[in-house]
Amino acid sequence: MSISVVVADDSRVMRQIVIRTLRQAGYDWDVREASDGAEAFAAVKAEEPDVVLSDWNMPNMTGIELLRTLRNAGYQTPFGFVTSEGSPEMRATAEAAGALFLIAKPFTPESFREVIDPVLA
Amino acid sequence: MTVTSVDHDQVHAIAQEVFAAMVDGDLGQLLPWEGELPELPEPVVAWVDLHGEWSGRAVLVTGHTTAEDLARALLGLPDDDEVSREDLEDAFGEIANVVGGNLKSLLPNPGTLGLPQVGTQVPTLGGAIRVQHLPLSWRGRLLVVDVWFAAPDSLTTTGGNR
Repeated sequence: MSISVVVADDSRVMRQIVIRTLRQAGYDWDVREASDGAEAFAAVKAEEPDVVLSDWNMPNMTGIELLRTLRNAGYQTPFGFVTSEGSPEMRATAEAAGALFLIAKPFTPESFREVIDPVLA
Repeated sequence: MTVTSVDHDQVHAIAQEVFAAMVDGDLGQLLPWEGELPELPEPVVAWVDLHGEWSGRAVLVTGHTTAEDLARALLGLPDDDEVSREDLEDAFGEIANVVGGNLKSLLPNPGTLGLPQVGTQVPTLGGAIRVQHLPLSWRGRLLVVDVWFAAPDSLTTTGGNR
């Protein structure tokens, strides 16, 4: 059975790049797109995916707010950030909130595999 | 914190890495501009603000046709495909966003990053000074990366237009 993913980013272009990179990394997943954290939360509530890949900095609901909202609502959906900022502070904040990984932009198919493969194993 | 926190070579390395990963697939496509700077026809400007102990702005400027080609490259579109203004602004803004995010990661006490904004000219940043100016050549066409430093928390624009 195919893995389902919600890709959340306010940039349509970046969502396309994330989706393309997933394919290039060998992940032939079922993708749903969300343009901010609120849309992503609604998408998870409608049908819980196997994983959420989310930008951090988005209008309406940021990625970290999305993660905390999901956990507060009882969803333990595996969650990873794909964000333009990869400082140690942000990585620590992401981990403390329950994120499995943080992929910093710019990324490559190899950097996707490096963090996603261990999580899927 | 000093205005010297952002080094010229670091900014160039960030821009090269962003273009290599997102646009070109190799590091050799974004080189220092050689010679006189030409006028940019129909300039497109993308910028993102950094707020905190080190407040400032990362700005990218290029010509409209170059921004169209960048959007095509990011979206994986053929050379002759139409690019909507929305996609052009989204793509160029996202490049500025990633450059700004990586710039922020260089700072010892990073604050927050605003959302990317795109226009035909960049609004004035009161009291700010330009600390880096990198005229670059992307596939032989001019693309300028500037970094501005402002007094801490002096920026009033906090959000983007999307």
